[in-house]
Amino acid sequence: MKIKGLVLPAAAGICLVYAAVSIAQSNPKRILTDPPQSPPRSIFQHTIAAVGLLEPSSESIAIGSHRSGVVTKVNVIAGDKVTKNQVLFTLDYRDLSAQRKTSLARIAQANAENRSTKVLLDQAVRRLKSANSLTDQRALATEERDDRASECARLEAQLASSEAAIALAQAELETVETEITRSNVTSPLDGTVLQVRVREGEFIEGGSRNDPRLIVGKIDPLHLRADIDEFEISRLKSGAKAIASPRGDSERKYELEFVRYEPFVIPKKSLTGDSIERVDTRVLQGIYRVVSPDDRLHVGQQMDVFIDSNPRNTDS
Amino acid sequence: MTYVAFRMLIGDRAKYIGLLFAVAFSTFLLQNQTSIFSNLMKRAGNQIRDVTDADVWVMAPKTSYFDQTKALHETDLQKVRGVPGVDFAVRIFKGLPIANTPNGQFAACSVLGLDDATLLGAPRNMIQGDWQDLWQPNSVIIDKAGYMLLFPGEKLKLGRELELNDQLVKIVGISDALPAFTTFPLIHARFTEALNFQGRQRQQLSFVLARPSKGVSPEELALRISQTTGLKALTTAQFQWASVSYYLKNTGIPVNFGITVVVSIIVGLVVSGQTFYLFILENLKQFGALKAIGVTNGTMLGMVLFQSFLVWFIGVGFGTALSATFFNISPFVIALRHFILFWESAVGVAAFMLLVIALASSAGLIRVIRLQPAEVFR
Repeated sequence: MKIKGLVLPAAAGICLVYAAVSIAQSNPKRILTDPPQSPPRSIFQHTIAAVGLLEPSSESIAIGSHRSGVVTKVNVIAGDKVTKNQVLFTLDYRDLSAQRKTSLARIAQANAENRSTKVLLDQAVRRLKSANSLTDQRALATEERDDRASECARLEAQLASSEAAIALAQAELETVETEITRSNVTSPLDGTVLQVRVREGEFIEGGSRNDPRLIVGKIDPLHLRADIDEFEISRLKSGAKAIASPRGDSERKYELEFVRYEPFVIPKKSLTGDSIERVDTRVLQGIYRVVSPDDRLHVGQQMDVFIDSNPRNTDS
Repeated sequence: MTYVAFRMLIGDRAKYIGLLFAVAFSTFLLQNQTSIFSNLMKRAGNQIRDVTDADVWVMAPKTSYFDQTKALHETDLQKVRGVPGVDFAVRIFKGLPIANTPNGQFAACSVLGLDDATLLGAPRNMIQGDWQDLWQPNSVIIDKAGYMLLFPGEKLKLGRELELNDQLVKIVGISDALPAFTTFPLIHARFTEALNFQGRQRQQLSFVLARPSKGVSPEELALRISQTTGLKALTTAQFQWASVSYYLKNTGIPVNFGITVVVSIIVGLVVSGQTFYLFILENLKQFGALKAIGVTNGTMLGMVLFQSFLVWFIGVGFGTALSATFFNISPFVIALRHFILFWESAVGVAAFMLLVIALASSAGLIRVIRLQPAEVFR
């Protein structure tokens, strides 16, 4: 009987142990984990964070064309190093070549006319001279002598006109030749071709800037344009150090050297990989030089930037 | 004397069992109700708790709970990064788009857009697939319950497609994410892709998640961020509580469960209390006899206390085991996933039952102490 009565308390004890184990096992523990990829971190005690874009130190130059026309030859591919005045691509200038021939013919024609006028003038001068050299002036009618003088003057004027015609034809030739030169689009500086969006056979509209067909820039040194929130401007230290790391690889940190600020504070363009432009706040753009870039940095890449700064007034 | 008390208790088996049943079932009912209630309310903060990579949440100043957000400026991320004591800060997007399946099912989903560069907040508890596959283009991870809602009656299978706002995405993983209060399928995607799952808005940054650097507590950092940026910053625990209390305040659930809990308390109190009181009353003769042979009041007190303790111990033991079994089985029901028996509830109810039995026995005790031995002979 004594043992029988103890069955229930013993069973209850076992039940409690079971319940305790169940609870201990099921009650979840929240363990802090590390993000899959390490996020960007600042190395400065007081910092201003910004987003920056890598750009050539010359800024990106969207090459324009004076003329409209069909492209006949593209001399570069993206990534090529180019020197100043190197021809990047050529527009079709067959029409100009034809015009050039016309101009040349016109020069020849003007020259011929000039020569024939000269011969006529020589003849007229001779006739006037012989009239004037008569010992007896009455041998020739006065009218006849005056006519010869007028003829001389007329031919002199015609000579001047034909010389002007030569000059005009030559000027025309030069114009055509300039246009032909302008059909060769050249690089404005020593740099690198960053983007080629023009192919042989494509039509290019002259003067348009909205849709750059070819981008050239000087990528050595490489610059970074950082957008600094207007609220943080007061904390900027002049010439402060900065570091930047590429998106998705925050372990790689690049040292930046201050170059200048853009003097004009502009509305911020969204840099977050979105093509739709959205204005958030105004930002001051700081230009920094990447001190030792390597081949893993590319123009147009987004970087997380941390700039050494003054503490806030509220910071302890 | 203890032995006598014990024999007295188990002497009337029917009453003994009845007493144990009353205590055991009251315990079970109370533990069950309080735990289910807490589990349910806790779901309001589960999505916050599930992000284990950071412990400070930065949000728009008037945000009251997780499910309703106002977008931040993109520059706010940079502002938070500039606060001293921030180890890192990363953006996260939360949206509520509609997901469509090829066979016409649809459901509003709670989408978390994880920062593309870091995947901070990726679901670590996976049932199928790998969260690393989120790096793939147009890929999402969905929770198991969400999958079952969108593909009813079908086996879990990776590679199925969903359409959200004309974007076709592939399910690359099925997660065991902590369930949300709203029952929406939980989808994890990358930030830039999640933006396209619903119509574009001007501002699309829902939260900034931060972690304090060494030597700074999350609470301190949250305070600093609030002070310097003017945004609202809460630690994971604070934000969880804020979300839970929003639902506590604004839904009828606490009233509903509150009534159940109060009723079970009353029933437990009355039934076990009354049974125990009756038990003592019916044993008054025995107590009288004991008094007559010279047992002191102190010993009697010990006897009654021992009896009540034993009843409590056995009843609570069985009751708690019953609750534990309930919560061991309940996760197999998908709607009750991640429901657990809170240790606070188990211990609290046990303590409460001790109080109930102490009250009941004290009522009986007064009778025992006032008892005149002569009464035995009446």
